[in-house]
Amino acid sequence: MRYPRRIGRLSVPSRKAQLAAAAMLVATTMAACGGGGEDDGATSSAPKAPATIPELTKDPLTLSFIWFDWPPAHALEDFANAEYTKERSNVTIKVKTVPNANWHDAMFTQFAARKTDFDIPILDSQHIGEAVTNGNILDITDFVKKNIDVKAYNPYLLAAYGQYPQAETGKRDENASLYGLPLLGDTWTMIYRKDLIGDKPPQTWDEMISVAEKCQADNPGVSGLAFHQANGSDAAAVTYNTVNGVYGGNLWDAKSRKIDGVVNDAAGQEAMDVLVNKMKPLTAKGSGNWFIDEVNAAVAQGKACIAFNWIAASGGLLDPKQSTLGTTREQILDKLGFAPLPSQKTNLVPLGGMGMHISAYSPQANQAEALNFMKWFEQADIQKKWAAAGGVPARTDALESPEFLNAGPFNKVYADSVSRMRDMWNVPEYARLIDIENTNVNAALNGAKKPKDALDDIAKEQQAVLDSGNRKGGGGL
Amino acid sequence: MAVSVDEAVSAGPGRDHTPSRRRRGGRGRSVLEVALLTVLAVVMLFPVLWMIETSIKENRDVYAIPAKFFDFKVTLDHFKDVFAGSGGGRSALSVSFLNSVVVAGVSTALATVLGVPAAWAYSRFSVKAKKDQLFFILSTRFMPPVVVVIPIFLMYRQLGLIDNKLGLILIYTAFNVPFTIWMMKGFVDEVPAEYEDAAMLDGYTRLQAFWKFTLPLLLPGIAATAVFALIFSWNEFVFAIFLTSSDSVRTAPPAIAGLIGGTTIDWGLVAAASVVFALPVLVFAYLVRKHLVAGVTLGAVRR
Amino acid sequence: MSESAPLTIDQPGQVASATPPAPGRSRRLSDRWLAGAFISPALLLLLAMSVFPLLWALYLSFTDYSATRGGPAHFVWFENYTAILTSAQVHLRALTTLIYVVGAVALQTTLGFSIAYLISRRTHGRGVLTTLFLVPMMLSPVVVGLFWRFMLDAQFGVINSMLGSLGLGQVEWLTRQGTALLSLIVVDTWQWTPFIMLIALAGLTAVPKYLYEAASIDRASEWFRFRTITLPLVWPLLLIAVLFRAIEAFRLFDLVYILTSGGPGVSTETLSFHVYKVAFLGFNTGTASAYGILMVLIVLVLTQLYLRYLNKLKED
Repeated sequence: MRYPRRIGRLSVPSRKAQLAAAAMLVATTMAACGGGGEDDGATSSAPKAPATIPELTKDPLTLSFIWFDWPPAHALEDFANAEYTKERSNVTIKVKTVPNANWHDAMFTQFAARKTDFDIPILDSQHIGEAVTNGNILDITDFVKKNIDVKAYNPYLLAAYGQYPQAETGKRDENASLYGLPLLGDTWTMIYRKDLIGDKPPQTWDEMISVAEKCQADNPGVSGLAFHQANGSDAAAVTYNTVNGVYGGNLWDAKSRKIDGVVNDAAGQEAMDVLVNKMKPLTAKGSGNWFIDEVNAAVAQGKACIAFNWIAASGGLLDPKQSTLGTTREQILDKLGFAPLPSQKTNLVPLGGMGMHISAYSPQANQAEALNFMKWFEQADIQKKWAAAGGVPARTDALESPEFLNAGPFNKVYADSVSRMRDMWNVPEYARLIDIENTNVNAALNGAKKPKDALDDIAKEQQAVLDSGNRKGGGGL
Repeated sequence: MAVSVDEAVSAGPGRDHTPSRRRRGGRGRSVLEVALLTVLAVVMLFPVLWMIETSIKENRDVYAIPAKFFDFKVTLDHFKDVFAGSGGGRSALSVSFLNSVVVAGVSTALATVLGVPAAWAYSRFSVKAKKDQLFFILSTRFMPPVVVVIPIFLMYRQLGLIDNKLGLILIYTAFNVPFTIWMMKGFVDEVPAEYEDAAMLDGYTRLQAFWKFTLPLLLPGIAATAVFALIFSWNEFVFAIFLTSSDSVRTAPPAIAGLIGGTTIDWGLVAAASVVFALPVLVFAYLVRKHLVAGVTLGAVRR
Repeated sequence: MSESAPLTIDQPGQVASATPPAPGRSRRLSDRWLAGAFISPALLLLLAMSVFPLLWALYLSFTDYSATRGGPAHFVWFENYTAILTSAQVHLRALTTLIYVVGAVALQTTLGFSIAYLISRRTHGRGVLTTLFLVPMMLSPVVVGLFWRFMLDAQFGVINSMLGSLGLGQVEWLTRQGTALLSLIVVDTWQWTPFIMLIALAGLTAVPKYLYEAASIDRASEWFRFRTITLPLVWPLLLIAVLFRAIEAFRLFDLVYILTSGGPGVSTETLSFHVYKVAFLGFNTGTASAYGILMVLIVLVLTQLYLRYLNKLKED
């Protein structure tokens, strides 16, 4: 090592520079803290959208959505650019997509930044509470009253994708505020191999399990069941919630905000037992990290007798290029059947899908355009066209229309399931609740925890999250 | 037995001052060692080869059980999909590659401009608390990205740098400057200070001496250092996924990660995108192979 | 530090030169100015992008601030720290991280050194071999993670397919508690063994030949030579590499995110991954900041160790 010594001791940065840097640091810290304080007070509740749509701009405008990357997102962009521009030729629609695993983070980090590069966030129904509480999306109650024909909808669909505080399952509270409108309805469909188990789908959950068991025994290399088990997104949690609902359990008591003692009651325990001890053994080895795409791959490769997946994600199953079940759509449909979920003690099915909302940080012209888009989108004929374009509408007349029912073999499943849907908790703490449930159900499914311990841990940890109010040290651990 | 060790350390083959009995033993062992090395090399390279193979397979063959090693139909469709969008035009993936080029390129240039002079100054002048300063500089490079991203996120939201290429460029520069300083300091140490002294005797100022005499000698080192900075920025994932969200800003690593988690996984496309993404790095790494040891240890080890 | 002596010696030369010499005093000043001008931009950037954010995080770590919920930050002082240090959840992640770091670093050190040793004994093809072995290290963790996830897939993965051809059963690489962490260690080892190999190779080729020659005349056993000549000479360099890898492994996030996303359950959640969840799922920014500061402290200690060994190495 060579350090030329001739120059003598220099102080770098010089003392003056050090002082300046320190001063700058202090100043910025103060500014930052001040900044933190300033954006705090303003956000106690969501800002209101006007009841009537303000005058729209004639200048070119790009209306941006944010969604995760899946076929409906591309369908929406194509559909809106083809149809909406007929009415508003100066508007371009852009649907920004992020990876599914990053969807919540991508939206809420931008909300946290109080600056969004999207006008219409497509929130999961359970994200509404978090967004409303933080003041991230507009209150559109008055707008809906004046512009939307609410009688044309199943009330629960309106409530699920827009109402906060959350509605009771199956109902809508007409006095509660609305923050969004339905964009894409969804629920699970049962996908079954007609060539292996017959044309008639099993009707009860128990029957479904025994059919799958027999199918697996009769067809080496094909597993009885395929469903979501991953610990990311809401994969494993929705699976447990579905079985929980079917076996008469409850996720929580919304009024008393009680989870411990509710989700892990006798019905909850039975559901966990069915899931881990009866259903899991019928799945493929190593399927413990499967989500939407892995289940689809298993079906397309002919490796599952009965599978469960979101309807909106099932379109790819009919694509001969991705499938080994046939070389044409018809051949594939000879083998694949789609049916509503079997029932047991109840006939509940999971509510999926998403609503459209308006970013509170979007420019006024864009917010006005977003309101206009929503009004346009919820018209009867547009909803039918959306159905024909591959979307799942929410208006009852569109759901009953041949345009929708003929667009895909699973669409009738959705129409038949609407009255049976149940959602999870729609509270600001949703992201934490779902993570607790996901990781614990995933642990139980993969033998990392005993089923009963996993359920009790879910109850205990989720209760702690609801009770903590997030206002003391160590929150979120 | 001694032969092989001697041969390994001495350059010339054919040196022989051991009894033949031992040499035969050495040869047998040598064969064994070559075999072992071959096996290890195959194991290490297999995933890369499998990635290349997957990228030219049809999706049907990608999922085949048992896996198809040789008898599959070759297709270049996946590579086409990397660049061309489904509806014609550019794919989102190719836009992300361009973003990566911009972000990695600019942050590397910035880090070089900031880091090289600082390295020279640290090498030539005796700076107060130099060791502490260098320790501080190195430790900023070792910060866990997940931890840094929290306050950076808060800071960027005040500055409007979230989902902005400039934001990524700045944070990558901040991670590359410590590396550049440490790596370049080693190179500067190797250039005798006497060159500059001689130049100053001729009447040049120190700055001129640095610019006209030392800097040209440092160019190969600067190039090597810049390449390593480039590789870091090119491969970086954590900041990219948390600080960007739109197609027009997102760099390639989060875009490639986003290829899975839709409704179907197109492993062929993932593989093709990975190959395209990795290729420039491998080429660059090959160009600086002489400096690899220094490069991967932040210039700490140079032999 | 004899700063004046060389300058006085400089004087005659400067008198002889064509351009008039700068007086020594102003030269020193301009050097000082130059050093400042060259170093401070870099330091300022680091202050702005590393120190300032960390100070901010330090401040937040004493509060209950949340980045999304708004509301003023209340000081909770050390509540975040005590909650983290006493949390069983954190202890679990710390243990996972420890197993991962120790397992991965030990495995790649052994393998990397062995490969380097084997290569160093070859006379031909060294360059090619080294280059080939280095490929994994250059790949992005995203590419590595995604690809191994594909290869380790229990149903469609090529690893199980090969095991199947050998008549062995399927292994659930990513979905069992033991194997998932093992897979993580194996993938990290695959990527970073070349790193250790590279540095070990640098050490091995620097061992002076005459030492071996002397030993070979003495007919010392090979193990004896390895233990008394090779290892002591390579060890200091290897230690640097090991520490470097330990720091990197401790910071690991991306591979977990892509390969297992922490599963099954939370059994492969490292500290980094847990911090991410606290920070971006619940947006408990205060807690996450305290958690981060604690991790930074560990990194600082490791860095200090690293530098100490590095200086020792240079002095030798």
